[in-house]
Amino acid sequence: MLIELQDVTKIYNQGQANEVKALDRINLTIPSGSLMCLRGASGSGKSTLLAVIGCVFPPTSGRATIAGKLLSRLPDRFLTMHRRQFIGFIFQQFNILPELNVLDNVTLPLLPVGISPRERRKRGLRLLEQFAIAHRRNFAANQISGGELQRVAIARALINDPPIILADEPTAHLDTRLSEEFMKIISGLKEVGKTIVITSHDPLVTENSAVERIVDIRDGRLHA
Amino acid sequence: MFKTTLERQLNILDYALSSVWRRRLKNLSVMLVFAAAIFLLASFQMTTTALNQAASSMLAKAPEITVQRISAGRQASIPLAYGEKLKAIFGIRRIVPRIWGYHFVEPNRANYTVIGLDPAAMPSGKALGLTLAKGRFFTAGQKGKAVVGQGVVKTMNLADRRNFSLFRPDLTLKPFGISGVFAPGTNLLTDDLIVTTMADARDLFRIPAGMVTDFCVYVANPAEIQTIAGKIAKRLPDTRVLTRPQIQKTYQVVFGWRSGFGSVCLLTALAAFTIFAWDKASGLSPEERREISILKILGWETADVLTVRFWEGLLVSALAFAVGCTLAWIHVVKFGAALFRPVMMGWSVISTSLHLVPDLALADFLLIFAFTVLPYLAATIIPAWRAATVPADSAIR
Repeated sequence: MLIELQDVTKIYNQGQANEVKALDRINLTIPSGSLMCLRGASGSGKSTLLAVIGCVFPPTSGRATIAGKLLSRLPDRFLTMHRRQFIGFIFQQFNILPELNVLDNVTLPLLPVGISPRERRKRGLRLLEQFAIAHRRNFAANQISGGELQRVAIARALINDPPIILADEPTAHLDTRLSEEFMKIISGLKEVGKTIVITSHDPLVTENSAVERIVDIRDGRLHA
Repeated sequence: MFKTTLERQLNILDYALSSVWRRRLKNLSVMLVFAAAIFLLASFQMTTTALNQAASSMLAKAPEITVQRISAGRQASIPLAYGEKLKAIFGIRRIVPRIWGYHFVEPNRANYTVIGLDPAAMPSGKALGLTLAKGRFFTAGQKGKAVVGQGVVKTMNLADRRNFSLFRPDLTLKPFGISGVFAPGTNLLTDDLIVTTMADARDLFRIPAGMVTDFCVYVANPAEIQTIAGKIAKRLPDTRVLTRPQIQKTYQVVFGWRSGFGSVCLLTALAAFTIFAWDKASGLSPEERREISILKILGWETADVLTVRFWEGLLVSALAFAVGCTLAWIHVVKFGAALFRPVMMGWSVISTSLHLVPDLALADFLLIFAFTVLPYLAATIIPAWRAATVPADSAIR
């Protein structure tokens, strides 16, 4: 299994008055090359679960093994390095830096890895060509359309060639056409062996044929 | 491994440079305020250095020992016969009697220093001519001739005139013809100076024959100045013996005290700027917080974000340092430290106009750097560390 969670609990502000239990004894296994959808209302805990899978922080208790590493034993610095190597994120609002141009946004994760500018450019352009937005490479991110922005976000998630892609409500701000286009790209990524976890309650995602499994989450608990 | 680490640092530096450019308006405003603070501090430091250098170079030509007679705690005329008593002291090369005093001119509200001397009798008499911008030194036999400083020319409107008069104590006029004008480079000591012959100075101040105001004593071996000064003091107990090193030290103390006072005031301003910088750096805008959280979730470590902030701070402060120091140098050299002249040279009614050229000493720059750039970096790096610990998950919440 590429992702394995056993009795994973996440408590924010533990021991304080504003303590929140976001995840409650989650057990979940996700095999390599699968496409899974986490479905739940706002505040149900799906973003927290995505953050644990994405090595953003370790769980408060339980075992989370992501790509062969037991997260609870990794200090923050190694979590970051692990995330850099194995995880690609696609955010709800894309989280593209508006002042940077398209190519610089896509290659942003390569900077702390120590990749030379020439190699960065080569890798970035290859992905931009793959998603048919190479002609926009020198445009500032705030000068391109929503659909192009979405493809920039996907290209950025893939720049390190990670085996796991995590997408947090990716279609929440997209129209039907762009949502379908997004799912088409995601299906293609699944075809090449990427493991994909999407949080969404959009029927265009949950009812997509590429989605193999839907897991419901309510109040921090899974309902298969 | 080394290549990767170097490439990584270069990438981060590249990102920091682009980040400074992207926030150019904010950075420019911080840089300008910081450059202004550095300009003030560097100007003060350079002015002090230049004044000390000017005083040292001018005093190099001053007599090694000056002997004055003290009566009732005040300087009084000294009999010429005292000079004869000094001749017996071994090591004295030459004794030159001098008459000098202050002359207040009511219409100009200016206090001039009048010195009567015989240039030919001074060991560096020939070199005195080199300190003149125009004309030449008078000889002992000439009557009614004077060499004047730039400030005297200016305040007495002597640019187009060759003659001027001063009142004697009995209110009769004593006329002088200008034989030369001191060069601007010697202004620190000559700006308010009127140098004339002994006879004319005696006439102006009505000092009796056989009396002078002091003796300039030149010694054969400069290393013996203190010893000879001690012997003079022992032989003439009613005199005050001033040595050149003492006078140099007095100048340094005066400039040092004034500079120190000014520096304390300016450092207070700098501290205020540091607080401002702290406030600016710690008060991250929502866009900056968002950027940091995005970088962190994309795999940037806290140290990487901190390095970006460090380079940004270093770039802004180094630029401000370069601009501030350059402006300070221009201010001191081209404009004669116009902002600080009243503070640094405020003892004379005549405002001294100096051509200051400070030696660019590495120690001065290091001092200014230590008092400006380092506190700025400290003031920005700590809030930056706090900013860099923005949780990565804030990008997906």
